[in-house]
Amino acid sequence: MAAATSASERTQAAISVEDLTYAYGDLVAVDGISFSVAPGEVLGFLGPNGAGKSTTIKVLTGQLSPRSGSARILGQDVGRDRPEVQARIGVCFEEKNLYLNMSGRENLRFFARLFGMPRFDPDPLLLRVGLADRGGDRVQGYSKGMRQRLMVARTLVNHPDVLFLDEPTDGLDPVSARTIRDIIREEAARGAAVLLTTHDMWEADELSDRVAFINEGRIAALDTPENLKLQYGERRVKVRTRVQGEIQEELISLDDPEAGERLRAAAAKDLLTIHTEEATLEQIFIRLTGRGLQ
Amino acid sequence: MKPPSRTAIVAAILRKDFRAYSRDRLWVILSALMLVLLIVVFWLLPATVDETVEVGIAHRDLGELAEQLTAGNVEEGISVVEFPSDEALQRSVAGEAPLPGAEDLPQVQVGLSFAPDFRQAVTEGRESRVTIYVSSGVPPEIRNTMGSFVRELAFSLAGEELPVTEPQQEEIILGEDRAGNQVSPREHMRPLFAFMVLLVESFALASLIAEEIQARTITALLVTPARTADVLAAKALMGTLLALGQALVFLLAVRAFQGNAGALLVAIVLGAVMAAAVGMIAGAAGKDFMGTIFYGVLFFIPLAIPAFGSLFPGSASTLVQVLPSYGVVETIVGATAYDEGWGALGPKLGMALAWDAALLGLGFFILKRKVETL
Repeated sequence: MAAATSASERTQAAISVEDLTYAYGDLVAVDGISFSVAPGEVLGFLGPNGAGKSTTIKVLTGQLSPRSGSARILGQDVGRDRPEVQARIGVCFEEKNLYLNMSGRENLRFFARLFGMPRFDPDPLLLRVGLADRGGDRVQGYSKGMRQRLMVARTLVNHPDVLFLDEPTDGLDPVSARTIRDIIREEAARGAAVLLTTHDMWEADELSDRVAFINEGRIAALDTPENLKLQYGERRVKVRTRVQGEIQEELISLDDPEAGERLRAAAAKDLLTIHTEEATLEQIFIRLTGRGLQ
Repeated sequence: MKPPSRTAIVAAILRKDFRAYSRDRLWVILSALMLVLLIVVFWLLPATVDETVEVGIAHRDLGELAEQLTAGNVEEGISVVEFPSDEALQRSVAGEAPLPGAEDLPQVQVGLSFAPDFRQAVTEGRESRVTIYVSSGVPPEIRNTMGSFVRELAFSLAGEELPVTEPQQEEIILGEDRAGNQVSPREHMRPLFAFMVLLVESFALASLIAEEIQARTITALLVTPARTADVLAAKALMGTLLALGQALVFLLAVRAFQGNAGALLVAIVLGAVMAAAVGMIAGAAGKDFMGTIFYGVLFFIPLAIPAFGSLFPGSASTLVQVLPSYGVVETIVGATAYDEGWGALGPKLGMALAWDAALLGLGFFILKRKVETL
């Protein structure tokens, strides 16, 4: 498994987690996990509810202190150097915890002050998330999508080097979700490390450079989506042809020594479609953990 | 990026909280209404105390004696008014509509109705009767005084001395003798009103805190360079400044800073800190608006007891004296009504300070636990 982190990786990593454990009383929520995220990398953190994703984020953002192990952000210990770490991270919570009786602009300005930026101009950020014309309105009048976009804007107030995004597109309309996905890509391109938790397998596949499957507090698998699919999926294609007016389907394994021959034979007929049959991330997750993601 | 100073963070949270408060119509209107109402009621209350007891008499044969009585030649503090009949006198004491011909006579609290042959019977040494009518609000000591007054009158008419020689009595008033200069209803109500103004702001703070916890915005603060201690400090400051500001407006409006102004100011600051601490506890304990109101009232009732007790000077039991607000209320009373000095007020302020430290500590502890377990 690619979860283990080497010494060189740790020194370069924006997020470096080593044998991290956290428990709520006797309930172990995070059980000795290790991983790292490089600058500019998006790590998809996938797992069902109660798997330990949010607890991991809480530890990494300084909301909880680990029982054992180490968590370092940009080379600094989260527990020991919390103010310095928190000055350089951005956290987007799953719940829309905005000040509803303040405007979007006021929300951003307030958080900028907490980061020591009293002369912060919120308008470019509002423009970026598509709220330029509603920045002066109180948040209580915003739609769910607008609130979520403002949450993302708030996450970016301090130009963070590390982003923690907890279900940033959950339940959003396609336009809002696309805006947020574009911002995640832009931030990664800028060099920010992104830890993304999501239930949306398509989104994880689309955005993540690597994904970690977390189940019962442990990382079950960690790799690029491509490698996981290759490792755990089946290399085969589904071929549909029309033979004497009837549609026929054939599954051809690419590992079959006669695969080339069979494909050529299919192409000689009235070929309708050829589809690859690689496994989805969800199928791989179920195969690895025996449970679904929802 | 260098994290900002603690002061800058606390100031930013404080500014945000004041903005949130100013946009919460419920508390803004409630606070303003309360303030205006209490100021108006204060100025409507009587500013002086009339210590004279008005006594009505109804008689047939008192003659010159009646003239002497109504002319004011009786004991100090007793004013005598003559009524045409026993029935007219009864109606006046009972507060009923006067009989025809007695419309101009005042309402009296005590009435003495002499038997038709009172004077003659007394001078002949026969037994006679005087009926004393007393309004329900007249205290027992006045009723006793009336009994003695009638007895003296009878012996005086008979031309005799009292049957017993009155023992020599000496009345020593410890402290300032307030006879003729009693604390007015207005002054009596001032500490109660001031304390109500202080405590109503604890509800406002509790509501703000509960809202922040419920919406989890406090979690968003704690992943920035803001510490839990910064949030707690900002909330405590917010509550204190809110309560202090309102109380100062009230006390200035009722011209309270004419006695020991320094002690009054210290008492109000301590009271404001107490209100903030209560607000923090109620805000952390209550899960929603109703929850904060419930916990707020739970504190409000015991804290208000000394304020209500100040309406009846000298009535505070030991139990009341150990309540957290007792020191603050007693200092307000002492500084405004009796112009007491620092020597007399110091121990009360010390007690209030100790309670403030305890309540604020408790408020910090409960709120910190709440925030950290979100």
